[in-house]
Amino acid sequence: MAVLTIKNLAKTFNVGTPRASRVLDDISFDVRGGTFVSIVGPSGCGKSTLLNIISGVEEHTSGDISLTSDSGGPARMGYVFQDPRLLPWRSVMKNMMYVQNDRSEATVGRCRKYLEMVGLTKNADFFPGQLSGGMQQRVGIARAFAVEPDLLLMDEPFSHLDAITARGLRAQLQDIWAQSKKTVVFVTHDVVEAVELSDRIIVLQPGGRIFEDITIDLPRPRRQTDPTVATLQAEVLGRLETMKAMARTPEAVA
Amino acid sequence: MSTTMTPVKARRSTSEKEKATPAWQKTLTSDRAARVAALLSFFLFWVVISALFARVPGPVEVVQRLVDEFSRGEVFGNFGSTLYRFGVGVALATVVGIAVGVIMGLSQLGRAFFESPVLVALSIPAIIWSFLTVMWFGFGDLSPIITTFLTSVPFVIVNVAQGVRGVSRDLRDMSTTYKVPLSRRIKDLVLPAVTGYVAAGIRFAIIIGWNGVLLAEWFGGGGGVGYRARWWYDANRFGGFAAWVVLFVGFIVLLDRFVLDRVIQRAFRWRDASA
Amino acid sequence: MTDQLVRTAPPTDPEAGAKRTAKRRRLRLTGLVILGWVAMFALWEYGSWWFGSRLLPRPLEVFQAGVEIVESGNFVTDFSASVLKTFAGFAVAAAVGAPIGYLMGRYNYWRAFFHDGVTIAGTIPAIVYAVMSLIAFGLSNLGPILAVALVSAPYIALNVAEGIRGVDKSLVTMSEAFGRTPQQIRREVLVPTIVPFVFAAIRMCFAVAWKVEALTEVFGGRNGVGFQIRTEYQLYDIAAVLAWMFLFIVFMLIIERLVLAKSEARLLAWRPQERSSAL
Repeated sequence: MAVLTIKNLAKTFNVGTPRASRVLDDISFDVRGGTFVSIVGPSGCGKSTLLNIISGVEEHTSGDISLTSDSGGPARMGYVFQDPRLLPWRSVMKNMMYVQNDRSEATVGRCRKYLEMVGLTKNADFFPGQLSGGMQQRVGIARAFAVEPDLLLMDEPFSHLDAITARGLRAQLQDIWAQSKKTVVFVTHDVVEAVELSDRIIVLQPGGRIFEDITIDLPRPRRQTDPTVATLQAEVLGRLETMKAMARTPEAVA
Repeated sequence: MSTTMTPVKARRSTSEKEKATPAWQKTLTSDRAARVAALLSFFLFWVVISALFARVPGPVEVVQRLVDEFSRGEVFGNFGSTLYRFGVGVALATVVGIAVGVIMGLSQLGRAFFESPVLVALSIPAIIWSFLTVMWFGFGDLSPIITTFLTSVPFVIVNVAQGVRGVSRDLRDMSTTYKVPLSRRIKDLVLPAVTGYVAAGIRFAIIIGWNGVLLAEWFGGGGGVGYRARWWYDANRFGGFAAWVVLFVGFIVLLDRFVLDRVIQRAFRWRDASA
Repeated sequence: MTDQLVRTAPPTDPEAGAKRTAKRRRLRLTGLVILGWVAMFALWEYGSWWFGSRLLPRPLEVFQAGVEIVESGNFVTDFSASVLKTFAGFAVAAAVGAPIGYLMGRYNYWRAFFHDGVTIAGTIPAIVYAVMSLIAFGLSNLGPILAVALVSAPYIALNVAEGIRGVDKSLVTMSEAFGRTPQQIRREVLVPTIVPFVFAAIRMCFAVAWKVEALTEVFGGRNGVGFQIRTEYQLYDIAAVLAWMFLFIVFMLIIERLVLAKSEARLLAWRPQERSSAL
C-alpha cells in the first residue's frame, strides 16, 4: 500500500511578487511501503524543495499530499540532511534521544542498537564537535532510523563527504535498510549512487516536472563493481544526458 | 494486510492560507504600526508615571521648561561650550586610541606593554576622573576635555586593536606569497578591515565621552550642559533637568543615527553584503 | 634558491634552538608586561610630583590609605551593600531585558516595536540614569538598583535578540522535520544558543554596572562604596578616594573571575575551542 501519495503538487516561491518562481510543477506519484525511491535531477530542479514539502518544513502552493501510517497513528518521519545537523551542545546519545517521543528503556535500547549499526557505540557520550564529518553524518543516519519512521527522507546525505567515506556509508546504509525495510525517499544528483541504492528512480527535469520514472530491478546487496549495476548506471546516465540536451533546446524550454 | 488508511497529514497549501488572512490584520502588524504603537506606549507610560509620582515631571512641564530655556538664551551658549569640549576630547581620544590600538594589534610586544595600563584605564570610573581633573585643572575647559579623553580612549584602543588583530592571517600569508608591497598591503588589506572597528570604537567613545563631559561639567562650574542640568537639579526643578536631558539625548540620537550608523554601515558593507 | 631545499637539520637536538627562542620570547613578553606596570606607576609618581601630593597622592599613600580602610574593617558593610545593589539591579535588568530581547529576536513586530527605544536607551549617558533614579526614589537604596537596571537592560535585550536571531535555522528545521514541539525546540535549540550571548551581555554589563552603582551612590547614597568616595572627596582626602576605588575595582574583578568566568566555562563545555578574551 502507498505510504506517501502526491497529486498535482506545485510550489512557487514569492507568490504574487515580480520575483515569483515556480520550482515544482504538477508532480504526482506515490510511494509504496518498504521501497527505496530516489529522486534524481540536476541542481535547481526542486529536489530538496520537494523533500522539504513532504517533511512539512515547507508549505506547498497547490495540490495534495498525504501520508499514511501503518499503525493508524500519526505518521512518523525521519530525515537525514546534507549536513549532520546535530545539536553541538548535546552528546551523541542525547542527540539521538532528542528526536524520540518517549524516554522508555525500549527507546534507549533502540538508539543504542542503531548507534551500534553505524559503529559509534564508543562515541555515545562525545560532543559532535569531537567527531569527524563522516562520524557526525553516521550519527545523523542512526538518529533518523532510530525514530522507526513510517517514511525516511534523505537529502543528499553523502554529498559533503569525501569519496571513500561516502562509499563506506552507502554500504552501511544498504545493510541497515535491508534489516529495517523502511520506506525511503532519497534525493541525490548522483545517478550512480541512486542506481546502487534504490528500487525506483524518479527523474526531475529543470522546471520541476517529472521526466521519467525508472524501476531498478537488481538483486541486493549491490556492489559498484558488479557489471550489471555498472551497465544500468551507464544507461540511466545516458537518459539523463538526453534530458539535459532537450532542456537546452528552445522548444523544450517553452 | 488490513491496515486502515488514515490520511494523517492532509495539509493546507499556502494559497488556501493566504485567503484566510484579512487585510486589516496585515496593516496592524506592519513595522510602521509597531513603531507608532511603541511611541504611543512610551508617551502613555510617561504621562501615567508623572501623574502617579509628583517628583517626576510630565511632558507638558518639560516642553514648557524647554521653551523657557530657549527664550532665556541659555541653550546655544551652554550647548556650544559642551560640544567644543566634547569634540576636542573625543578627537584626541580617536587619534591616540588609533595609534596605540594599531601598535597593540600589530605587535605582540606592544600588546604585552599596553595591556595592563589599558585594563586599568578601562576599569577606572568616569566620576573619579572628573573629581581629579576638576581639582587639577579648575573650572575651565580643560577638565571636561581631559575627562572625556581619559574615559573614552581605552575603548577606542580596545576596538582598534581587535580590528587590527582580526585582519585574517590567511590573507596576510597570501599577500606574503604574492609579495604584495607593504604600502598596498596597508591600503587594500589592513585599512578596509580595520575601518569598521575604528568607527565602532569611535561610536563607543562618543557614548562614553558624553558621560565624561557631563560629569566633569556637573562637578565643575564652567558652564555647559552638565552645569545647567545641575543648576535645575539643585533648584529641585526636575522639569528643567528633564528638558536638558531631552535636548542632549535628542542630539546624541540624531548624531548616532544619521552620522555614525551610516559611517559604520559603509565601512562594514563588505561584511554584511553576504547576509 | 636551491640551498633552501637542501637545508639540513642542525646536528644536535633539533628542538633545542626552537625551545631557546620560545623561552627568550616568553621572557621578553613578561618583561614588557612588567614594564607596562612600571611605566604606569612612574607616570603616577610624576603626576603627583607635578600636581603635588594633595591633588594627586603618591601610589604609596594610596596604598597606605587602602591598608587603613581594610584594617578598620568597615569596608565590609559598604562593599556588601554596593555588591548587593549591583546584583539586585542586574536581576531586574535580566528579568526585563531578556524577555524583551527574546520577543525582539523572535518576532518582527516586537523587533520593530522595541528596536528604537532599546538603542536610544543604550546611548543615554550613565549620569542621566543616576540622576533620574535619584529623582524617582530620593536617597534610598532603590536609586542605585534602578540605575543599574536601566543601564544594563538595553545591553541584555540587544544581546539576547542577537543571539536568538543567530540561531542556526537548520537545527530548527531539523527539529521540525522530526516533529519536535515548540517547547522542545526552545529548550534544546534556542536556549543553548543564546547562553553565550547572555554571558557576553552579563560580562559587558558587569563592568559598566558597578560603576553606575557607585556613581549613583556618589550622587545620593547613604551607604556603599560611592557614598564613602563622596564623603572622602568632601574632606579632600584624595588618597582615600583612590583607595576606595581601587579596592572596589579589585573586589569586582575577583567576583567577575570567580563567579562569572567559572560558570561560563562550565555551561559552555561543549565548545570545541575556548574563545579568546576581548583583549
